[in-house]
Amino acid sequence: MKAKAITNFAAQLGVEIALNADFIVERNGRYFLINSALKSFVARDYYYAGIFLGKVKGGKFFPSFNLLGMLAKQEANRVVVDSKAAWLFVCGRDILGKSVQRFYGSGKRNTNVLVLNEFAECLGFGRIVANLSSSSTKNEIAVKNVSDIGDFLRRER
Amino acid sequence: MMSSKDFFLSRYEKLGWQYQEPNVKQAIRINKTNAKSKQILERLGRSGVELEKVPFLEQGYWVENSKVSVGATAEYLLGYYSVQEAAAQIPATLFTSLKGKRVLDAAAAPGGKTVQLADLMEYSGILAALDVDKRRVNALSNHLERCHVRNCVVFLLDARLAGQLKVQFDRVLLDLPCSGNFASDREWFSRRTFEDVERNAKLQREILAKAVDCLGTDGEIVYSTCSLEPEEDELNIDWAIRSLNLEIQEVNSYGQNGLTNIFGKQLDPSIKRCRRIWPGETQGFFVCKLKRSTKP
Repeated sequence: MKAKAITNFAAQLGVEIALNADFIVERNGRYFLINSALKSFVARDYYYAGIFLGKVKGGKFFPSFNLLGMLAKQEANRVVVDSKAAWLFVCGRDILGKSVQRFYGSGKRNTNVLVLNEFAECLGFGRIVANLSSSSTKNEIAVKNVSDIGDFLRRER
Repeated sequence: MMSSKDFFLSRYEKLGWQYQEPNVKQAIRINKTNAKSKQILERLGRSGVELEKVPFLEQGYWVENSKVSVGATAEYLLGYYSVQEAAAQIPATLFTSLKGKRVLDAAAAPGGKTVQLADLMEYSGILAALDVDKRRVNALSNHLERCHVRNCVVFLLDARLAGQLKVQFDRVLLDLPCSGNFASDREWFSRRTFEDVERNAKLQREILAKAVDCLGTDGEIVYSTCSLEPEEDELNIDWAIRSLNLEIQEVNSYGQNGLTNIFGKQLDPSIKRCRRIWPGETQGFFVCKLKRSTKP
């Protein structure tokens, strides 16, 4: 099923999403969400259409930032970090325990979380590597950076 | 023998413009569908970005001073604004209305104007964006993703083949490949020859002719270049109104009237409705709006 990779990824973040497969199109491993107006256009040989959701490469799904933003609105597992950590995260850095202001979800190690700034804007996602509730790990890396919006700049290099 | 710089500057003098060192300011455009201008201005202000409203643009701001690179802030990466030169922000604003329309951006990459069109459409309707270069189409796609555009389909396609889409468009933006201008390229005078200008002018006429075939009833074309060479500007439009049954629409826009006498050749008087922008605070630019002629 076309939407399986996407719904599986969403489930890892604690969100159940229902996607109408009629409006998901795939092009060279890249998935797009389109509306009915765009449907007739994608019958032709297109390069990009509607909302880019992510790509499958080597059997692994890489979500787009649009998809992460959509999941952030669906109450996905997430951490809210302070402004300094938010900027460092966008620069590709990991997040220290002391920078996590709040977290939502189980907070279990080896689970994925969205990373949000003080304005509840999604900056990317990471993997929890330390106990978020423990005060003894405040100076340790709590969330490993997996993907952040600074990627838009790195792609252009 | 006359240098390339002397050759082009003497042409500009004959067209009535005396060379002045340009001082092109960096500009941004707030994507109003994604963000409220007031909030973004406050946030950028806190980051040390001093902005001044561009008087002739609704969403455009000049960067007067900045402690950070405006192309690398979180607000930029979140798609709240784009870095887009002020004159380049004009063409998309000249269409009558864009909401819910079928719009073609025929030479779209790297996508600054594509995102602007989508923003003015409030992501409604359909925006088809074409370009021939795969690397540039990739950059365009990144731009669309960053700005959360959702009403656009991108095709790796030569603008002259737009008819293959078999769609009649309500609005067509022809921001065409051109010779550029010295204000946005320091090496321009040593890089450009008059042969480049002639070759680009020919390509522009070919694209314009094909675009007319894709234009729906009551459709509008906005034609623009960042070239100062009249062969790519007034002379091409003079050819278009004579050969393609188009007429030039009045526009309320920054810039001087189009030139109606080019090196002694008298053009159609309606050419004055075009807008020519000599370099200064903006780069050099030319823009006009066209519709099918109502005359038989």
